Amino acid sequence: MTIRFGLLGAVALATTSLLSLGSAMAQDEVTITIWSLDDANQPALNLAREFDELEPGIKVEYREIQFDDVVSEAMRAFATGQAPDIIAVDNPEHALFAARGAFLDITDRVANSDVIDPANYFPGPLNSVTWDGKLYGVPKATNTIALYYNKDLYAKAGITEPPKTWDELVEVSRQLNDPANNVYGLAFSAKASEEGTFQFLPWAQMGGGGYDNINAPGAVKALEVWKTIMDEKLASPDTLTRGQWDSTGTFNSGNAAQVISGPWELNRMLEEAQFDWGVALLPTETEGGARSSAMGDFNWAIFASTQHPDEAFKALEYFASQDDRLFPEFGQLPARSDVEIPETGVALKDAALQVFLEQLQYAQARGPHPEWPKISKAIQDAIQQALTGQATPQAALDQAAATIDGILGQ
Amino acid sequence: MNQTWTQRLLLLVALLLAALYLFPLYWMYVTSLKTGSEIFATPPGLAPSNPQWGVFGYVWELRGMGRFLWNSVVIASGTMVLTAVLGTGCAYVLARYRNFWIDVALFLVLMLQVLPASLMITPIFVGFAQLGLLNHPQLAVVLAITAKAMPFFVVLVRASFMSVPTELEEAALVDGNSRAGAFWSIVLPLARNGILVSAILIFMQAFGEFVYSKSMIPAVELQPASVGLNAFMGPNTTEWNNIMAYATIYVTPILAAFVILQRRIVAGLTSGALK
Amino acid sequence: MNRLLSSLRDGKGFDIVLVAVPLLFLIALSGLPLIYNVVMSFQEVDMFSLGTFARPWVGFKNYVAVFSAPETWPILRNTAVFVVCSIAGQFVLGFGLALFFTQNFPGASYIRGLFLASWVMPGLVVGAIWNWILAGDFGVLNYVLKSIGIISDNIFWRSDTNWSLWAVIIANIWLGTAFNMILLAVGLAGIPRDLYEAAQLDGANGWQRFWTITLPMMRATIGAVISLGLIFTLQQFDLFAAITSGGPANSSNVAQYWAWEQSFRQYDFAKGSTISVVMIAVVMIASVIYVRSTRHEVRG
Repeated sequence: MTIRFGLLGAVALATTSLLSLGSAMAQDEVTITIWSLDDANQPALNLAREFDELEPGIKVEYREIQFDDVVSEAMRAFATGQAPDIIAVDNPEHALFAARGAFLDITDRVANSDVIDPANYFPGPLNSVTWDGKLYGVPKATNTIALYYNKDLYAKAGITEPPKTWDELVEVSRQLNDPANNVYGLAFSAKASEEGTFQFLPWAQMGGGGYDNINAPGAVKALEVWKTIMDEKLASPDTLTRGQWDSTGTFNSGNAAQVISGPWELNRMLEEAQFDWGVALLPTETEGGARSSAMGDFNWAIFASTQHPDEAFKALEYFASQDDRLFPEFGQLPARSDVEIPETGVALKDAALQVFLEQLQYAQARGPHPEWPKISKAIQDAIQQALTGQATPQAALDQAAATIDGILGQ
Repeated sequence: MNQTWTQRLLLLVALLLAALYLFPLYWMYVTSLKTGSEIFATPPGLAPSNPQWGVFGYVWELRGMGRFLWNSVVIASGTMVLTAVLGTGCAYVLARYRNFWIDVALFLVLMLQVLPASLMITPIFVGFAQLGLLNHPQLAVVLAITAKAMPFFVVLVRASFMSVPTELEEAALVDGNSRAGAFWSIVLPLARNGILVSAILIFMQAFGEFVYSKSMIPAVELQPASVGLNAFMGPNTTEWNNIMAYATIYVTPILAAFVILQRRIVAGLTSGALK
Repeated sequence: MNRLLSSLRDGKGFDIVLVAVPLLFLIALSGLPLIYNVVMSFQEVDMFSLGTFARPWVGFKNYVAVFSAPETWPILRNTAVFVVCSIAGQFVLGFGLALFFTQNFPGASYIRGLFLASWVMPGLVVGAIWNWILAGDFGVLNYVLKSIGIISDNIFWRSDTNWSLWAVIIANIWLGTAFNMILLAVGLAGIPRDLYEAAQLDGANGWQRFWTITLPMMRATIGAVISLGLIFTLQQFDLFAAITSGGPANSSNVAQYWAWEQSFRQYDFAKGSTISVVMIAVVMIASVIYVRSTRHEVRG
C-alpha cells in the first residue's frame, strides 16, 4: 500500500516537476531590441509596445535614436556585436548594409508570409529594400515632394492654375516675385546635404536622367532652370544653405508664394498658414512629359547578427499588418498601394493628400547603391558649384557624372 | 560727486555691452514664444505677436524634463568632482617645477584633448564595450567626459598655481610641514578661486555634453537633458519653438546659479586674499 | 616601505603620484583613441572592422587621396583664417571686457557673470540662433544694419561665398569671448594692487602700467587661454553644422567639419581620421610652442 502510494507520489512529483519545467521553459522570454527614430507620437514605439503585449513569449526593448545617428550608431553597434535585432533605416542607406550582408535576407520568409506581399508595395520603396534580386527589409512608410502654392497670392496675381511645365513654373514665379513686399516667387532647398539631392533628382529624372546618368541633357536643363531661378532672385539666395523645413517656414509666414516640399509639412501648415493654399504635382519638363518624384522615409530591416530571426520577422509582420493605421493615427503614408487613406475631414489636407498619393506612383528610390552617400555628394557638389557660378551646369554635372561613373564602376 | 557720476556712466556702459552680447539669449527666449513659422517671417519680429506661454509646460511634460535635468546634474557633478580630484594635484606639480619631464607631461596633457568628441566616441565605445563598462552607462559617460575635460582643467588651474609665490610654500616647509601638508594647508587655499572657477566651467561644459551620452546611454531614464534636446529634431521636421523652450528651461537656472556663484568667488579675489 | 610611504607624503613620491595617476587615466582614455585614429588613417576601414585594430594596411594611400583632392587646400586655408581670426577677436574682446569689469561700479560682478550665457547655451541652440540672426531675408543682423543705414541691400551672410566663412567667425567670436573674459578676469584679479600703486607713484601712466605689470604677470594665464582657445576653435563644429554646413561650395568648409563629414556622412572613416591626423600635427606644433613659452612665465 505504502509502496503504491509512494510510487504514485513519485510519479505525481515527477510529472508536476516536468510540467513546471516545461512551462518555465515556455516562459523563457525572448528579448528583441528595436531601434527607430520614432517617438511617442509616431508609429514604431507604439507598435512595438503593442507587439510586446500581444506576444507573451517575446519581450521588446525599444530604443529611440536620432536621425543623424542612425547609420553611425548602427555601424558601431554592429562592429562590437551589439547590434539590435530590428532597425528602421532611411531608404537610401538601406543598400549600404544590405549589400555587405549586414541585413538578413528575408526573401524566403516573405514568400511564405501571409501578411507581407511584395506586390502590395509601391515600386520605389520596394526597390529600396531589394539588392541583387533579394529582399532585405520591408518598407515602413513613404513620402515624396510636390508643389505647394499660395492660392491667395495666385488670385491677386491673376494666376488661375498651378504651372505644369518648368518654363511655366519660372514664369509664374516671376509674376509672383515681389521684393518690395518681401515675397519670393519660389522656395525650395539646394543645400549641400542629402536634402539637396532629394530635391534635385526628381527634376533630373523628369529630364530623362538619373543618378547613373546625371549629365543627361534634360538633367543639365533642370540645373539651368534652377540657376535661372537663383540668378533672378526668384528664390532666396539662402536656398543654398537652408533645408526644406526652414524654407517652407518662409512659405507659411507668407514670404514665398510657392514651395516644393512634402507631406510632413501638412500639420504645421494647417496650423500656421494664414492663407488659402493647395498642392500640385511637380511640373514636368514638357507638357505631358515624364513624371518623377523623390522618395523618402524609412525601411524596416533585421540585422544578420540577430539571435532571434523568427521573432523579429514576426514583429515585422505585425507592423506591416497595421499599415492601415499609419495615416489615421500618425499622419504617415504607408508605402503600399493597397491601403486606403481615409478622409480626415479637413478639406485642405484631403486635397493635398490626393495629390501626394498620385505623386507617389512616380516616386523613384535613390539608388539603391551601397555607395549612395558618395554618389549623393557628387550631385550636391555639382549643384553647389553651378548655383554659385563656379562652373556652368553642364561642366558641373559632367564632373559629377565622371565621379559617379568611377564609383559605379567599382 | 564726480565718482558717483563715473560709476553711473560705467554701469550704463556695462548694461549696454551686456544687452548687446546677450541678444542671442534674448532671441532664444523670444523664439520659444513664437509659433513655428513666425521664426521665418520677414521682417523679423523682435517680440512675439502671439506669445505661446503654454509651450514651457508642454515641453516639460512631453520630455519629462525633471528626470532629464536630474541625470544631467548627476553626470555633470560626477565629472566635476573626478576632474577636480585628479586634475588639481597634477596642475600643482606642473606649476611647481620646470624641467624636461614637466615639459613632456604638459605637452601630453595638451595633446590628449585635441580630438573632438565625435572622433573619440568610436574607439571609446569599442573599448568600453569590451570592458563591460557599457553596463554602467552613466559611469562610462562620466569617465569619458572627465578625460575630455581634464586637460582643460589642468592647464587653467596650473595658471592659478603659478600665481602662488614659492616663498610661502617654502616657509611652510621650513616650519616643519610635509610636502603634502604644505600643499593642503597653504598652497591649495590660495589657488582656491581659480580652482573653483575652473571647476564650475567644467560643470557647465559637462552639463551640455551630448555626443558621449547619446551613444553610450540607450536607456531614456538615464539620459541627460542635452540628449533630450536633440530628440526634437526629426528627419524632416524640427520643432524650433519647442527646442528653444526646452533650452530656456535648461539654461536659465544654471546661468542664474553661475551669476550668483561667480560673484562670490571673484569678490573673494579682489579683497586681497593673497595678502 | 616606510621610506616609500614617507616619500609619498613628503618627497619625490608625492609629486610623482600626483602627476602619474591623472596622466595614466588620460593616456588610457584619450591616448588610446588618439592612437586608434592615427592607425586608422593608414588602413582601409569599413563598418565591419570598426571594432578591431586588424585591418588592411594601405600605407599613405589615404594621405595621398586627401592631399590630392581639389578641395583640400581651400579648406585648410579656411581653417587657418577661421582659427586666427576667431582667437584674435575673442581674445581682444575678452581682454577688453575683463579690463572694463575690473573697474569698480555697482553691479559689475553680476553683469560680468551674465556674459557666461554663451558658455551655458547648448551648441545646437547657439547654432540655430546665429543661423537666424545671419539669415539673409529675415535675419536680425541685416535688419539692424539696414535700419542704421550701413547697408542698403541684404547681405546673404550664410549663402554668399565671400561672406560665409565670416558669418561663422562672427558667431564663434561671440561664443568664445565670454570664456576668454572670465579667465582673463581671474588672472587680472590675481595681480597684487600694490604693484600698480607703486608704479603710479613712480610716475607710470595707465598704458605703461599695462605693458610693464599687467601683461608680464598675466603670461601664464594668457598662454593658457590662447592655447586652449586654439584647441577649442579647432574643435568648433556645431556652428558650422547649423549656419552654413560648410557651404556653399565649400567656401566655409574647415578641416574639423570636413573630417566629420567624411566619417559620418560619407562613412569613409579612414579619410576622416586622416584629416584629423593633419589637425593633430598642427596642434602638436602649437603645443610645443606653448610649452616652450612657459619657460618665461613668472611664478608668484
